Parts: sequence; structure tokens; C-alpha cells
Amino acid sequence: MHPKETTMFRWKRLAAVAAVVALGLTGCSASSGGSEDAGGTLTLGQIVQPTTFAAAQSNWANESPYMQAVYDTLLTADPEGELQPGLATKWEYNDDKTQLTLTLRDDVKFTDGTALDAEAVAQNLVRFRDGAGPNASYLVDMTDAVATDATTVTITLKAANPALLTYLSQNAGLVEAPSAFESSDIQTVPVGSGPYTLDTAATVIGTSYVFNKNPDYWNAENQHYDKIVMNVYGDPTALLNAVKGGQVNAANTLNNNDVAQMEASGFTANPLELNWAGLTLMDRDGTVDPALANVKVRQAINYAFDKDAMLKTVESGFGTPTTQVFPERSAAYDKSLDSAYDYDPAKAKELLAEAGYADGVTIQMPSTPLLGSATFTLIQQQLADVGITVEYGEPGNNFIADVLTPKYPVVYIPLQQGGDWELIQFLISPTATFNPYHTTDDTVNGYIATVQNGTQEEADKAAADLNKYLVDNAWFAPWYRPQSTYVTDANTSVVMQPGNAVPYLWNITPKA
Amino acid sequence: MLRFILRRLASGVVLIVVISTIAFGLLYVGGGDIARRILGQTATAETVAQKTEQLGLNRPLYEQFVDWVSHAVVGDFGTSWFTGQEVIQAISSRVAVTLSLVIGATLISAIVAVLLGVWAARRRGWPDRLVQVISVLGFAIPGFLIALGLVIVFAINLGWFKPTGFVQFATSPSGWLSSITLPVIALAIGGIAGVTQQIRGSVIDALRQDYVRTLRSRGLSANRVIYKHVLRNAGGPALAVLAVQFVGLLGGAVIVEQVFAIPGLGQVAVSATNQGDIPLVMGLVVVTAIIVVVVNLVIDILQGFLNPKVRLS
Repeated sequence: MHPKETTMFRWKRLAAVAAVVALGLTGCSASSGGSEDAGGTLTLGQIVQPTTFAAAQSNWANESPYMQAVYDTLLTADPEGELQPGLATKWEYNDDKTQLTLTLRDDVKFTDGTALDAEAVAQNLVRFRDGAGPNASYLVDMTDAVATDATTVTITLKAANPALLTYLSQNAGLVEAPSAFESSDIQTVPVGSGPYTLDTAATVIGTSYVFNKNPDYWNAENQHYDKIVMNVYGDPTALLNAVKGGQVNAANTLNNNDVAQMEASGFTANPLELNWAGLTLMDRDGTVDPALANVKVRQAINYAFDKDAMLKTVESGFGTPTTQVFPERSAAYDKSLDSAYDYDPAKAKELLAEAGYADGVTIQMPSTPLLGSATFTLIQQQLADVGITVEYGEPGNNFIADVLTPKYPVVYIPLQQGGDWELIQFLISPTATFNPYHTTDDTVNGYIATVQNGTQEEADKAAADLNKYLVDNAWFAPWYRPQSTYVTDANTSVVMQPGNAVPYLWNITPKA
Repeated sequence: MLRFILRRLASGVVLIVVISTIAFGLLYVGGGDIARRILGQTATAETVAQKTEQLGLNRPLYEQFVDWVSHAVVGDFGTSWFTGQEVIQAISSRVAVTLSLVIGATLISAIVAVLLGVWAARRRGWPDRLVQVISVLGFAIPGFLIALGLVIVFAINLGWFKPTGFVQFATSPSGWLSSITLPVIALAIGGIAGVTQQIRGSVIDALRQDYVRTLRSRGLSANRVIYKHVLRNAGGPALAVLAVQFVGLLGGAVIVEQVFAIPGLGQVAVSATNQGDIPLVMGLVVVTAIIVVVVNLVIDILQGFLNPKVRLS
């Protein structure tokens, strides 16, 4: 072969290799995007991985899509928060609401081929209560769950639990196949009766979860896609890049800083308020800080914060200023209470003087970089302006443990706004998790008893009265309800679920 | 040579034992209330206590350590507290991902650094100054900025690559190549800067040696002198730098894997450490230590191949 021919041949071969590689790269880039597959495949950006697929230890909120893909719940909730049938078609309480009877569907099969029956449901309920999961307390009032026949389950309770039905529409109501109970893979291989099955071969645990449509699902109306991929983005930059690159159809966001850029990429921002941010004034009896037993000191703390400025600085203005802990959707909510303690440093100083603390007060608080160092500096500055000195402790990884031990009288931590009873059990009742000093007050206890045992009308009024009482007595010092934002692309519609971090899976649909 | 390798392996085992012990102590001492971190703020005190007992965290530290060691020596690193996945499975599925990034970046670093270093050493003048400037820039610009810049330009604006994610080689070789190209470049740039300087310096030194003049006087071409003789002598120090770079790239992969959402060891190391997933972190510590020991052993053997004096010492 002529040397020139050899050289030409080499160049041609090199060019051919380059072309193949280039085609491969381009081809891959075009076919792997999420948006163009909408209708067939839904790709979700998730901000957390599932901690487990075991129903008994399951989480909810940001993990709910994983669970709703593979499991059914006993009840469901519509976008207005109203309860709807799930695996149970009928539910009925006895007169004192200590016995709940559920009537189940008789046409549901687990993906292992076995039929779903009352015995399986009863076992799941008991396992959830005893499973040491994050929400095991949802069923702490349940003395037993018994299958009275193949399609009837009777739940008996120590005392009425106004949130039980809601819990049964969430993780407490997930039903897993009994065949999975003894499986060594129970935490990573779910066996449920849900609309999809986890494709364990295509799934990379902690990074990407692939679900295929369950062809035998009893409620095909809730299967809007043939395949659902849930990719986990723990880093805001990676999530932003995935959105900009069209790699997801819908995603929850880690913060509001990138929302404008996501909107500029053609995504729609769907806002939701889930939490309240501010101070929890835990030591209301003055156990470690006697000044906090004085309601005027607690009210002074409320007046000391410029809530609009805090919202603008900490959350870039995404959210609503408030001074109440109950959410807007609650019967207890009173719009006028959102401005009960408008920023008034002069009034704060006056109240401190009236309380006998004209020379100021010193309070101990824990701080953690996980909640943003700037916020802790702002707290210190705003309170210093009215004469309250904040001294921070650094509990490190023990932040929540130290707060709940309790070691501090006051804490800053954004907390969730669940349903009324859930919120009462979480923040207000003498045994509530975030009432670590077990503050008890006859008026508060009276309202709680009515919420628990009264008619719906009585309960709603008691919740509203309780809310006003807590605001007047400054049990907390809320600043605002921060906005969470769920973004969707042009091919995807979504209906947000009040009280849940992300929409329910069946409310994410291809745009018509 | 066999004794040399055995000696190195023995010291590697000691190193792994020491590192594991220190890591275990640090994790447990600074771990805080682990059960509370697993269950979150909504869990009641009773549930937290139940979880603590379930995980055996209420036992004395030495008892927990002995338990961990007795399982670890037979390859059982337990189960992740946050995903329920077996640690060994979680790590094995990710080792190949990280190694493909780090090996790719090391190879590119080595090739580009040799070309640039030799070019600078032979030509001196402006090429030398240009290479020096490039090296300083490669050192100075943080890896995550390079990664972000690459994503914005080549993935988002030009659309040539996917901004995030990883495709397994078995699934699609071209997809795999596409998914690792930008991360590998982001990782390699820092490495190129370091190794280029080393090659340049070593080649300049070698070119001044008498044997080079002798080789030239025997009529060997300049390329043959450089690539067959000079580089072999200059290769020792460069290999040492490459070994350090390789280990450093394992650390650099943490950031790059986060930015590109690649399911490698770095990504899982960040999430496991933030969460306090001690079984997974301990597994990662041991595996990373093994990788470092093996890489150093391979480099030592290569050094021995390049320079017999090393074998004797």
C-alpha cells in the first residue's frame, strides 16, 4: 500500500471513530431526557431517598411518592384534604370513637399474587404501632386491630384519636404483603398492592428508583404513566441543572433561591406552605429561665421580631408572615392572628419593663449551622435591640436531642403544620414532643379535650379558641410560614396536596 | 520482590486496622443521638428509646466495636441505617462508578501532563511559560467551579451531554461515555496541573544528564531519546505525584459526584456522613483505605519496574 494511502486510511478510520462516538453521545443525550417521554415515563426529582420500603417503619411527606408507587393505603385524601376510600370502602366509629370498623375491598391482590384480606391489614396496623418507625406514635392509642371477617377490620383505641383516619390515609395505612414480613430484603424490596412495582434491577439505591406499571392493579385510573423514575438530588445545584437540562418532569425544590431560574427554563412553580418558622418558647413555667414564666416577657419576644424583614432575608420573601402555629387550612386558623404581634420594639421594651426586666433578660438557645448561621445572627440582633441577650450553645449532632431533653428554654427550628390533632400532639399537649417541659394549663387542656371528644363543630370551635389562647399567651413566637415550591415542566400537571411536602402521586398527570 | 510486596501488604493491613479504629471512635463520640437523627423530630421519646435498643446503641462502645470488627473481618459490614441496604452491596455498586471517574481522570492527567510537560521542557521559551500559567490556573480554580462551568456550557447551553446522572457501561457504552466525560474532565484538570509541573521539571533535569548527550551522539532521534530514555528516568517522581493525585481525586470525586448527581462513593459518603449512617461510613472508610493501600502498592511495584534500585531498597 502506498504510504499516502496508509495515512489517508488512518485519517478516515479516525474520522469514522470520532463520528461514531459523537453520534453515540448525541443520541444518548437526546434519548435520556425526561420531558420528551412524558405520557410514557414520568421522571421526578426527589430531594430525599426513601429511608425504607418496609411499611412498618415507613416515613411520609417527601417519601410519600415512593410509598404510594408500591403500596395502597386504607384511606386516601383528596386535594381538599377530605378523606376518600382506599383499600377500605367504608369506615365507621362507635359512639365514643374508641372503635373503628373498616370494610375492605375484596378484589385486591398483592404483587406476590396473594389476596389482600383483613388479616393482612390487621397485621400491618399492629406492626406499624410496634415497629419503632418515625411515626409509630400515630397508632399509639390503638390497643388492637382484629380481622373480624375476610373484609372487616376492627380497630380498638384507648381513647378517641381525631387524626386516626388521616393517619390511615398516610403511612399508618400502608398495607404490605405478609410474605414480605420475614424477608431479609424487606427494607429495599417492597411487596405491596400499589399501582407500580419497584424495578430492583434498574434501581440504584439512594440515587435512582425505577417503577413499572402494575398490570393487575385494581384502580387503573390512578396509573397515568407506564413507568416512573424517581431521581434523588441532595444538592441544590445538581437539582437546578437537572431541571434546566430537562432531565425531570417535576421536582420538589431544596430552597427557593433557584425557583426563578427554574421558571425561566419553562417550569411552573407550584407553591405550598407546610411549616412555620420562629421560636418555640418551651420553658413557659420558668423551669430553667424564670423570666419566661412571665407572659409579658414572651410577648415582648414576639414584638421584637420584624417578621417581614426576617422573611425577606431568610427566605427571599417566599412565604407569609404570621404569629400563629395553626395552618391556613385549619378550622383553628384566624387571619387576624397573622398580625397579632406586629413589629414594635418600643412595645417590647415596655413589656419587659412592666415584667420587671427593664435591665434586660438573658436567654440560652442552641444553634446549628444546619438551620443557617445567618438566621441565628438575626435572632441575636433583633432580640438585642429590645434588651434581650441571646447566648448560644453548640450541641452539634445532638441539636434535637438536647432541645427535647430539655436543656434549653427557647429554640429556633422550623416545625411542621399538620392537621389540628397532629399539631396538638406535636406541639401543645402536656405530652407533646415539642412541649419538653410538659407545660400544662387547665384552659389549654380543656380545649384539647373538646377537640378530642367533641362533635366536629365543637372541636373546630375549641381549636380556634385554643389557637387564640396560645397566641395571646405567647406560647410561641412565630415569624412566618415559609413557602415550599414544587416545579413542573410544560408536559406535566399537578395538584398540590395540602399538608404534604409533595403532591400525591396520582395527582401528577400528563398535561392534556 | 515477593518479600517487598508482602511487607507492603502487612503494613497496609495495620494501616486499615488503625484507621478503622480511629474512625469508629470519632463517629460514635461525635455522633450524637443517632436514633433521634434516624427517626427525625416527630418521633416520640419512647420510639427513640426503642430504636436505640433495636440498633444496640445502648451497649458500651467497646462492645459495639468488638461486634463490628467480628462481622467486618468476614466481610459483613451490616446494613445502612438510612436505606436498609447491605453496606457491602451499597459500596460495591458504587466503587466501579467512582473508580471509572478517578481512573479516567488519572489516565487523562497522565497523558496530557506528559505531552504538555515534555513540550514545555523541550521547547522552553513561550511554550514553557504558557504551560506554567495553565498549571497555576489548574491549581487555583476549585474543582466544583470547573464542574459547574462545564455543565453550564456543554450540558445546558450546548446540550452535548446530560447535566446530571450516570449510565452503566453495560446499559449503553456511548451513554456511559457521555455521562462520565464532563466529570472526568472536571476531575482531571487539577491533576494535569500537578503532574505537568513534575514531568516538566524531571525532563529538564534528565535532558542535562550525560547519558542523554551520549544517546544523541549515537544518532538516536530526539523523540526516541525523550520517550524511550528520558521519560523512563523522569517517570519515577511523576508516578509518585500521580499516586498522590489518584488518592486526592477520590476526595475530589465527592464534590464532582454531588454536582453531577453521580451515584459514586463520594455522593454516598456525603449523605451517609451528614445523616450519621455509621455502618455505611465505616464500610466506606475501610474500602477507601483498601483502595489507597492497593494504589500505593501498585505504584511501588511500577517504581520498581522503572528503577531497579527501588526494589533493592
